[in-house]
Amino acid sequence: MKRHHPWLSWPQLREGPMQLACHLCDTLQAAPRLREGDGAYCCVCGERLYRNRPHSLAHATGFSAAALIFMVLAHTFPFLTMTSGSISTRLTLMEAAHVLIRDNDPLVAAGVVFFTMVAPFILVAGMLYVAAPLRHGVALPGAMRVTRWLQWMEPWSMLEVFLLGLIVSLLKLGKMAEVEFGLGLWALGGLVLCTAAALGGIDKMELWDRLEITRKGEANQT
Amino acid sequence: MSLPPPAASQELASCHVCQKVSPIRLENCPRCGAHLHLRKPQSLERTWALLLSACALYVPANLMPIMTVSGLGGGEANTILSGVVAFWQMKAYPVAIVIFTASVLIPILKVAALVWLCLAASGRVWASPRALSRVYYITELLGRWSMVDVFVVAILVCLVRFGTLMTITPGPAALCFSGVVILTMFAAMSFDPRLIWDRHRADLADAPPP
Repeated sequence: MKRHHPWLSWPQLREGPMQLACHLCDTLQAAPRLREGDGAYCCVCGERLYRNRPHSLAHATGFSAAALIFMVLAHTFPFLTMTSGSISTRLTLMEAAHVLIRDNDPLVAAGVVFFTMVAPFILVAGMLYVAAPLRHGVALPGAMRVTRWLQWMEPWSMLEVFLLGLIVSLLKLGKMAEVEFGLGLWALGGLVLCTAAALGGIDKMELWDRLEITRKGEANQT
Repeated sequence: MSLPPPAASQELASCHVCQKVSPIRLENCPRCGAHLHLRKPQSLERTWALLLSACALYVPANLMPIMTVSGLGGGEANTILSGVVAFWQMKAYPVAIVIFTASVLIPILKVAALVWLCLAASGRVWASPRALSRVYYITELLGRWSMVDVFVVAILVCLVRFGTLMTITPGPAALCFSGVVILTMFAAMSFDPRLIWDRHRADLADAPPP
């Protein structure tokens, strides 16, 4: 669907003003259409209600696709390699989970795998699945459910926290042995940046509105 | 001064998934199908319960070792605080500050903030609703960073495996501490900030006209 007013926020469904309730104070107010980059703020508590993010779906598609590539690299190559004498150990997420399970801590291993592999994967792959076809007015089967999932996964995807953990560990280990950076570390940096850019660029109101529009369009056709 | 009315006063609910405003009698959101609520159900009760469990887990998380360093000179169990102290004494101040902030300061401040928010929402203490909203926002934002210590343990356990020379194994506190972080995150999610403004609106309505 082409936008009728390319400089205004997403193609709205309703003719009249849309109503919106602030998620902090529940004040009911009309949602004005905004110019690109502008934000609307709650008249009672000042919380940002939404922002018109230009090319939101295109940004989300591009950055989540890049994040997916970085994710493959980050899981394939080690983040760090540590050498002491003749023994050298490698750090990848799978290896860390494996060692934790061997050391009788399967729950911590499950947590680490979920927060650094499962949740980021659902987030990034889900965003690509929803945003890429939606740009052309197509919603793949289950797009709404996937959008719900990725909203749930958002707080649990902790790759940036893991990256901080890597830096802290580096500072801890620095004096003990020889630590080498792997390709995985740079890929992780790229993954964190791209995920943040994809999440920060997406306009959730546009996303949901477009999902609704495509669903209505499909219903009209049948 | 009276505030504009909340959506709830007109029987309108904002969907917690897609934010669409629809009449509560529909029960499910017409756009995304999520169940509609005017307010998060049993918000305060759930938050209190999760906070209490987090506090209970916080005790073993600090008393038990988070990792054990064993090597030629025998084994040495580290708790979260002993790790911070060791780094401070080694003059590794940035690491000490990061670990102290993430593992001690943030969880304690987060629990204190949520207790304050719950008390304010049930009307037992008074504070400006704007300040409380800000506190809630920061609480939600910072909570996940506490997980950093658990990740550090996972990383060190994986890297430092040099047999009898030096090996690091995880301790029971790692699980307890991740439990604390997960529970406080759920507590922050189950708290409904709109309750603060409901209380504020009720206070304004009760106040005698000047």
